[in-house]
Amino acid sequence: MTSTATVGELVSQPYRYGFVTEIETEKIAKGLSEQVVRLISAKKQEPEFLLRFRLRAFEQWLQMPTPDWAAISYPSIDYQDIVYYAAPKQQPKRESLDEVDPKLLETFDKLGIPLSEQKRLSNVAVDAVFDSVSIATTYKEKLAEHGVIFCSISEAVREHPDLVERYLGTVVPSTDNYFAALNSAVFSDGSFVFVPKGVECPMELSTYFRINSGDTGQFERTLLVAEEGASVSYLEGCTAPMFDTNQLHAAVVELVALDDASIKYSTVQNWYAGDESGKGGIYNFVTKRGQCRGARSKISWTQVETGSAITWKYPGCVLQGADSVGEFYSVALTNNRQQADTGTKMVHVGPRTRSTIVSKGISAGHSSNSYRGLVQIGPKAVGARNYSQCDSMLIGDQAAANTYPYIRSQQPDSAVEHEASTCRISEDQLFYLQSRGVSFEEAVSMLVSGFCRDVFNQLPMEFAAEADKLLALKLEGSVG
Amino acid sequence: MIIPDAPVLLELRDLQASVDGQPILRGVTLSIRAGEIHALMGRNGSGKSTLSKVLAGHPAYTVTGGSATYLGENLLELPPERRARSGIFLGFQYPVEIPGVSNLEFLRVATNARRQHRGQDELDTFAFEDLVRERLSVVQMDPAFLERSVNEGFSGGEKKRNEILQMALLEPDLSILDETDSGLDIDALRIVAGGVSQLARADSATLLITHYQRLLDLITPDYVHVMAAGRILRSGAKDLALELERSGYDWVDAELARLESAPAPLEVV
Amino acid sequence: MPAAAAPASAPPGAAPWLAALAGAPLPGPRQEDWRFTDLAVLARIAPHFALSSLRVEASPLPAGIEPLAPDAATELLGSVLETSGSSQHWPVQLNRAAIDQGHGAFLALRICGRVSQPLLLSRLPGGSGLGGTQLVLLLEPGADLELLEVISGEQAEAPASALSSLTVVSVGEGASLRAGMLALGRPGHSLLAHWIAVQEPSSRLAVTTVLGDWDLARFEPRIVQTDGAAETRLRTLQSCRGEQIVDTHSLVRFDGPDGSLDQLHKAMADGRGRSVFRGAVQVPGMAQRTRAAQLSRNLLLSPRARIDTKPELEIVADDVTCTHGATVSCLRDEELFYLQSRGIAAPQASDLLKRAFCEDVLRDLPAEAAGLNPLAHLLDPVGSS
Repeated sequence: MTSTATVGELVSQPYRYGFVTEIETEKIAKGLSEQVVRLISAKKQEPEFLLRFRLRAFEQWLQMPTPDWAAISYPSIDYQDIVYYAAPKQQPKRESLDEVDPKLLETFDKLGIPLSEQKRLSNVAVDAVFDSVSIATTYKEKLAEHGVIFCSISEAVREHPDLVERYLGTVVPSTDNYFAALNSAVFSDGSFVFVPKGVECPMELSTYFRINSGDTGQFERTLLVAEEGASVSYLEGCTAPMFDTNQLHAAVVELVALDDASIKYSTVQNWYAGDESGKGGIYNFVTKRGQCRGARSKISWTQVETGSAITWKYPGCVLQGADSVGEFYSVALTNNRQQADTGTKMVHVGPRTRSTIVSKGISAGHSSNSYRGLVQIGPKAVGARNYSQCDSMLIGDQAAANTYPYIRSQQPDSAVEHEASTCRISEDQLFYLQSRGVSFEEAVSMLVSGFCRDVFNQLPMEFAAEADKLLALKLEGSVG
Repeated sequence: MIIPDAPVLLELRDLQASVDGQPILRGVTLSIRAGEIHALMGRNGSGKSTLSKVLAGHPAYTVTGGSATYLGENLLELPPERRARSGIFLGFQYPVEIPGVSNLEFLRVATNARRQHRGQDELDTFAFEDLVRERLSVVQMDPAFLERSVNEGFSGGEKKRNEILQMALLEPDLSILDETDSGLDIDALRIVAGGVSQLARADSATLLITHYQRLLDLITPDYVHVMAAGRILRSGAKDLALELERSGYDWVDAELARLESAPAPLEVV
Repeated sequence: MPAAAAPASAPPGAAPWLAALAGAPLPGPRQEDWRFTDLAVLARIAPHFALSSLRVEASPLPAGIEPLAPDAATELLGSVLETSGSSQHWPVQLNRAAIDQGHGAFLALRICGRVSQPLLLSRLPGGSGLGGTQLVLLLEPGADLELLEVISGEQAEAPASALSSLTVVSVGEGASLRAGMLALGRPGHSLLAHWIAVQEPSSRLAVTTVLGDWDLARFEPRIVQTDGAAETRLRTLQSCRGEQIVDTHSLVRFDGPDGSLDQLHKAMADGRGRSVFRGAVQVPGMAQRTRAAQLSRNLLLSPRARIDTKPELEIVADDVTCTHGATVSCLRDEELFYLQSRGIAAPQASDLLKRAFCEDVLRDLPAEAAGLNPLAHLLDPVGSS
């Protein structure tokens, strides 16, 4: 018999992005207080409205209890033991890449995200965020020709304060949850995208997040607006060094789609996951939500989650506009002591709104992988439709796969359908591949990636292969 | 075709195997030389399929005795993928569906694994597409099947054609076809049989496992073996199959009963 | 993920009499298990005990059934509650307190061998207030029994009452129990029914429950396969209309390998009714080769009704086959149209489809249930919207 132990062994591979960049950073002292919030805002020379937004959120955060319902467990976080702002010394942001510290460019080179003119990806504009600040954004000028704004959120606050003020916090209010409130108070940087009416963004947009500092929390904020008839595809990637302490990452992402607009948001998450015994790794507590405000608008989330010690994340869609469409495609792979509690919320408000959920969870080692979803059909969502499919694959008998699909419906003229299954790698499929000469490792990898195919197919072409590779890497013990 | 002094590809001596502690093969002895076509017949549960799975190295079967030598090597020591790379091909009776895994990619990985083993260059995507399109004609298969997941949603006949397509790509030295004729209509059977005949070489051999004469009308075997209760009861030339078609398997029971009462070493042709 | 707006909660300190009796305050919507099931209606119940009865509809007891000695019953009750993790559950605490104080009806039976005729039990709250009934069943190894429990609200328009019903069952090795519970209420009446069973290997348990016409009905089957290798089959049909709340919270746990579960939950919500389902299935590491299938099918029949359904699968063993599914919709247009195109009027057509929806579960009840005409009760509205 094929021992699952052998399959299990395959799932472990060293983390390749665990290096630390030696660079002088400017940090503010550990701890969180109103002074710290004011200091962050002052450092970023923010307008009054933003300072008020932060202070209000901070006050709300102080009142909120930490959430305890997710199927995850971790020692309580000491919020006074975290640095809330760290930036490479070399501020403000340079006008040209030539002025960026070569060490930073080298770091992103090593991560496979070359930023320099000669090496950068040809059809992808990249915003590179290092610890708390954005260090470079490529192809800004080319995008500007089309009226597309793609820059760090700090820059957007300076250059386009009206847009930021109009949309910030309108999808994820600072009271939404504990981590959203925290983020609203202390967020440092992140990306801003604005695609004006009728414009189809000419290239893929991408933000690459890198945590470098060991005691720094990362609180980025991303805001993406597609006006009437606009469309954009956006991808984020992330890595962090290996520390044996845990770092907190509490991001907020807000998407707004007006009439006929379409936003595709993809994530390849590969934060450091901690070691075999569960030491170290990122706590990834993220709030992501899109609002289909306009009729016939569409928001599609695709995520490949392989990293982090703990993932707590439910990218959702509020389907307000009539005939709007929400999609969620997810692959979550957990190993060792990783815990992932992830899923989506599809809130159907408007008539004839449609949503699709496809979730694939793979749990190995002693990890725990939960799908938690909400499909809510409101009283006015006449003709709404949802289809959800959640499949789990278990590797070894110590891993847990939980499924909590929650449906609430208040509209008879609607249909919600949910299907789920749990399986392991089929011995017969494995044997079939092996009997055609495919090695055990490759066969396992093929089967796992086949299991995830429906999700990978949703990723932008440039990144689908990368996601496949990332999964294969996690699965192939020999590759390092 | 029987070629005197052709090299022996497969040599089984008193091969015994069990599944879940239940003995299924109770001593199979068989020798296959290059160029030969052997037919293995017998009723359901006689151990035919088990023999094919054991030769391909299915992990559910445990070999409990005897030996299997392939090209002078101890076959039983090799993991399934090594057996495949060194030229053993099992055409499955029920090819498994593998959702999500692209048929084309699967065929390419398998072909390259075999090529590498034979010291040939691996084929890149383009070269492989050329090759696979050429080999498709052997089984008259629609190229659209390449874009689908392995066997997923294929009809019975399409699955069998996909098996023969794999055979055409892997160019095996020993093909074991397990009930390849089952569930095929007459047209599909002709195509599959035509494919098998077309792929036969003087230095390769075929072991056809079948219930019925109808496949043997299209592919003439050099030897016919009748299996019962995990052993080869009788071996002969192609006429033996015709005799079975006429008289059925009833004599097998008598023969078995006789064997049970007085076990004797079996005569091997 | 923040909770969707929870229904108005029972005011803190509601029904102080019940809280004092159970030794704990009423659970509120802040507790995940009670988020959608508002116990506020219990506050309307007069603070005294009703006369309850738990009657075997046969005299003498059929062969193979005998009373279980009180101390044996108490011991069994304690151990089953312990194994299933139910002893700290509020409705269980309430039930035990009522019975222990001598209010309510208690029955304990021991089943040996095959019982050839079905056992019929009626549970009735008499008059207003809180009624309590407790049934303990011990199926010895190899026993075989068919059981039909009928719970009904007071026939007359009595003031508000609530029935707390607890069934505790131990199904021995190789034993088989087919249990039906037909619980049809009346306006003003509420039901809190716990149905707890532990199953030993090679046993078979089929529980079919039909709930309708209660102001509030909460049904909680909890089944534990102590060493796996048993068969469990659950069927529930629940309906609500008017302002009714009907809720099934099931939990099935496999504490050993090779067990199976086949669960079907069906719900119809009309009027301003609220239908709730939570179905937990727990497959820990020792439960290899478990096969579990759960399906939740919900009909939402009115724009003011609401359905909340929440399957919960927790799986650690890797060699398992577990599936679950849920659907929420109204009657299907194509089906309605098909019937209409054959000359059947729309209301009649939708009635036919609703009947078919119910029959699927009703046919699993012991045959004797048919005499009580549950369909008429479920579809023919009493105090309907």
